[in-house]
Amino acid sequence: MVEYDRSQSPEGASTAAPRICIVGVGGAGSNVVDRITLDRIVDATLVCAHTDVRVLGHSMAPVKIQLGAELMKGIGAGGDPDLGREAALFSREQIRQSVENHDIIFISAGLGGGTGSGAAPVIAEIAKNTGALVLVVATMPFSFEGRRRLAQAEEALELLQKRADALVLFENNRMGELILPKDGIQKAFNQADQLIAQSLRAISTITITPGLVKLGLDDLTSALANANGRCLFGFGEARGQNRGAEALKKALKSPLIDSGRLLHQTKNLLVHVAGGESLTLVEVEGVMKQLGRHVPDQTHILFGLGVDAKLGDAVAVTLISSLGLNQLNAHATAAPPSEMLQPRAEQPAPVAALAPAPAPKREIPAKKAPSPYAPPQESVADLLFKSEEFASVPAVGEAFPLSSLQAEAAKVVAPQPKEEPVVQEEEPPAFADFDAYEEPAPPPVIAPAPETARIPVRTPAAKELADAARSTKESTLAAVVARSVTLQTEAASAHDDLISFDEPEPEPESSTISATAVLTRKAPTTAESQQTFSLGEEDRGRFKDTEPSIVQGEDLDVPTWMRLKKKLRR
Amino acid sequence: MAKSTIYAGLEIGTHKICVVVGEAKRDGAIKILGVGQAPSRGVRKGEIVDFEKVQTCVNDALVRAEDRSDVMIRNVFLGVTGAHIESLNNRGRHRLPDDQTEISEDDVEEAKEIARSVSIPQSNVFLHSVTRQYIVDGQEAVRQPIGREGRVLEADYHIIHGVRGRVQNAIRCVREIPLEVEDVVFNPVAAAQVVLTREAKMQGALMIDFGAGTCDYVLYEDGMITASGCVPLGGDHITNDVSMALQIPNGRAERLKVEEGSVLYDDVPEGEMLSIEDDTGLILGEIERAFLNEVMNLRTKEILIQVKVRVEDHLGRLGAGIYLTGGVSMMKGVDVVAREVFGIKVTRAGSAPVSGITATFENPQYSAPIGLIRYAQILDSEKPFLSPLKRLGRRMQELLSSVTL
Repeated sequence: MVEYDRSQSPEGASTAAPRICIVGVGGAGSNVVDRITLDRIVDATLVCAHTDVRVLGHSMAPVKIQLGAELMKGIGAGGDPDLGREAALFSREQIRQSVENHDIIFISAGLGGGTGSGAAPVIAEIAKNTGALVLVVATMPFSFEGRRRLAQAEEALELLQKRADALVLFENNRMGELILPKDGIQKAFNQADQLIAQSLRAISTITITPGLVKLGLDDLTSALANANGRCLFGFGEARGQNRGAEALKKALKSPLIDSGRLLHQTKNLLVHVAGGESLTLVEVEGVMKQLGRHVPDQTHILFGLGVDAKLGDAVAVTLISSLGLNQLNAHATAAPPSEMLQPRAEQPAPVAALAPAPAPKREIPAKKAPSPYAPPQESVADLLFKSEEFASVPAVGEAFPLSSLQAEAAKVVAPQPKEEPVVQEEEPPAFADFDAYEEPAPPPVIAPAPETARIPVRTPAAKELADAARSTKESTLAAVVARSVTLQTEAASAHDDLISFDEPEPEPESSTISATAVLTRKAPTTAESQQTFSLGEEDRGRFKDTEPSIVQGEDLDVPTWMRLKKKLRR
Repeated sequence: MAKSTIYAGLEIGTHKICVVVGEAKRDGAIKILGVGQAPSRGVRKGEIVDFEKVQTCVNDALVRAEDRSDVMIRNVFLGVTGAHIESLNNRGRHRLPDDQTEISEDDVEEAKEIARSVSIPQSNVFLHSVTRQYIVDGQEAVRQPIGREGRVLEADYHIIHGVRGRVQNAIRCVREIPLEVEDVVFNPVAAAQVVLTREAKMQGALMIDFGAGTCDYVLYEDGMITASGCVPLGGDHITNDVSMALQIPNGRAERLKVEEGSVLYDDVPEGEMLSIEDDTGLILGEIERAFLNEVMNLRTKEILIQVKVRVEDHLGRLGAGIYLTGGVSMMKGVDVVAREVFGIKVTRAGSAPVSGITATFENPQYSAPIGLIRYAQILDSEKPFLSPLKRLGRRMQELLSSVTL
C-alpha cells in the first residue's frame, strides 16, 4: 500500500498565501514597524532600515538593516536625503536579500528627513526589481518642520510615485492638527504611527484574505487614484451587540476622515466589512446604510466583504479613500477654524446652548457649518437621509421576503437609528473632547481576541487535517461521521440546553439580554440557509468553563472530530 | 570534601502534582532521593484555577516526598507553564570604545544589557533570558568572548516571558503552603536539561513535553535554545474527545484511553470491538476499536500540528529529530503520528543522566520535575563561586561549558 504523506500538504498551503514584507525606513518608518511588531497585527516579515544605529538598536523589528554602515558609521543622515540615498545604495545587497522572496512589500517612511526621503526610493526600486508588488505608505512632514523639508519630501514623493505600485500618503499636518489643540506632541506622533500601522494591517488583510465579496489591489488603487492625493483612512472594530454600528462609528471617528465629513467630497470610497463567522447580512446592510448618510450619491463605493475567522465575534469596518491635496487644504483651512471655534464658542456657555434646545437642536448648526465649502446638494442629501431615517425602517423589513424574519429584521435595524443621534451628537465637539476619543481608539488594535493575537498561526491546520482525512480515509471517516451523527442526534436535547449557557460566554458585556442578542440566537434556527454566517454553539465538554483556545477562529477545545464533521457537512 | 547540594523540584501539572528531591553531586551527577506524587485537582491547561484544592494536593505530594527522601523540604524550584508564556530571540549590539580592542567583561555585560532591554507587554515578566551565543565582528557562535579582539560585540538572547499575574499566582499558591520558591522555571526548559543530551542539542532537536493539560516545546539549534513555548492542548483534550464521542464519563474515557487506546487505526481489523465496563465490572456496551483510535488520532495529530506551526521556521535543521516526553508520549503510536506530522526522526524519551530510583527517571512523566533539579544545579554552578579550591572551580567551569542552557 502506498502511504499518502499527509505532512506534505501544509507546505503547499503555506506557499499559496502571499508573503508580505514590511520595511520601515528612517525614524518614522521604524516607529511604524515597531508599532506593528508590538501589536503583532500583521503576519509579515518586518524589516527596519535606518542609518542611525542607535535607533536600530532600540527597534523591535526582527530584521534590522544598518544603511551604509561604512559610509555613515552608524550616524543618522542628518536630514540630508543625498546622504540617505548614498547609504541605501551602499547597503543595497543587504536590502535585496531581506526583501526578496516576498509577494507584497510595504515600505513605510516619513518623508522630509534624510533617511526616509533619501533611502525609501532606493529601497522601493530594489523591492520592485525583486518582482514583488510594492506599496508605499508615507507621511508628509508637519508644516512647522519648514519649507526645506517639505521640498525634500515632495522630491522623494515624485521618485516614489514612479516606483511604487500604490502610494498611500498621510498628511502629518492633518493628523497633528486634529490632536494638537489638547495633547502633547508625543501623543500626536504616537497617534500617527498607530494610524499608519492600522492602515497597513487593513490593506494587507483586505487584499489577502479571501472574501465573499473580494476586494483586490485594483480596487485599492482606484480608491487611492487621485493626483497628489492624500489618504483618508478609517478603521473600527467592535464586538458585542450592535457591533456593526459601533465599528462604523469608530471608523468614522478617525481624524483622517474628520467624522465622515471629508467623505462628502470623495469620488471613490473603499469599504471593507469583515467579521467572524457570526457576521450576519442584516449587520452588513445596517453598516452600509448608515455609511450612506456620509457619502454623496455619486460616489463610487467599492464594497468588500470578508469572513475572517480570526476576528472571532468582532466586526471590523475599514474605509479607505483619497482626496486631492487642494481639496483637503481647502477643507483644512476652512474647516478647522470653524470647527475649532465652534466648540470654544459653545463651551463658555454650554448651558445657554443646551437649556433651550436639547441635543438634536445643537446638532443642526454643526451640520450647517460645513455647507460653505461642501457642495450644497450634499448637505441637502444628507438632510434627506436624516429625514428618511425612520421611514427607511419598514423598507428594510420588506427586503426580506421571509415573513418570520421581517419582524426580526425590523428589530435589528430599529436600535441603529437610536444609535445615530449619539454618533452625531459627538461629532461637533470631536476635537474638544479628544480625550474621549483617545480612550476608545487604541483598543481596536489590541482588541482581536487575545488568544488569536498571541498565536501566530500560518497554516490552516485543521483545514489541512480535514483535507488529509477526506482524501485518505474516506470510508472510515464516513463511518465516524455517520456514527457521530447518530450520537449527536441522541445528544441533541442536551445540546440545546447547553446553548443557553454557552451564549453569554463570548459576550460578557451583554448581561441584560436585549432584542438583538435574542435575535442572533434565534436567527440560525429560523433560517437554515444562513448557517455559514452564524457562530455555531459548540460543545466543549469539560473545558466548558475554561478560557477558550482559539486558533484561526476555531475553538480547539471543541473535539476535533466534531469540528471536522461540521466542515465535511458543509 | 565539598558537600553535595539537595534540591527539590515542584511541578504542578494538570494531571498530577509531583515533588522530586534530588541530590546534585559535585561531579555533576544527580541522584534522585525521593518522589512524591499526588493526583492534581484544580489545575486546567497547566494553570491553577482553584488555589485551595491545589494546595491540598501539593501538601499531599510534599509529605510523600519528604517521607521517601527523608529530607525536610523548605525551598523548591517551581515549574510553570501555560498558554500565556511566550518566547522571542533578541540581539544586543555593543560597539567597543575606539581606544579599546580587547573585549572585556564590561563589554559583555553591556551587550547583554542591550539584548535584554527588549520591550515585552507591560503585564508580562521575564521568566528566563538565556544567552544563545555571542557574535564578535560578525563571527557567529562565539561562546566566550572575553579576551578576544574585536570591534563589535553582539549578544544573542532567548527571552521567555509570561503574564505577571499568572506567574505570581502560582508562586503565591506555593508560598501559602508554606514553601519558599527559589526560582520559577518554564517546564520544558527544565525538562530539556535531562531529556536532551548535549549531542542532541548540538545537532538540533525539538523536545515536546506532551502533558495532560499543555504541550510544551523547546527547540535547540546548534546547541542554542532557539524557540520555546506552550500549546494549551494536551492529553485531557484527547480524553475529552473520547468521552464526547462515546458518550461516556470522563474518568472512564481516561481509563479507556490509557488501557486500550492507540492513535493508529490503519491496521486495526475492521469490526474489532471493545467492551466498555462500568465500575462494577458489568459490560455497558461495545465500541469499535478503530473508531476510538481514530478519534484519538485526529486530536493527537491536531495538537502536534499546532506545535509544528509554531516551530516551522526551524524544522530544517534538526539533526537529532524530535524527542517526545511527558505522559502522553507513552500513548501507543504517538511516535508514528509525530513522524507523520513532522517528517523527521522521533524518539520517545524520559530523563537520562540521573541515578536513584530507576523506575522514576525512566518514566517520561517525570521529565519536567527531574529537569528542575538539573536546572537548579546548573543555575548554582553558574553563580560566581567563592570556593578557594581551584580544582573544584575548574570542574565547575567544565560543567558550565558542557551544559549550555
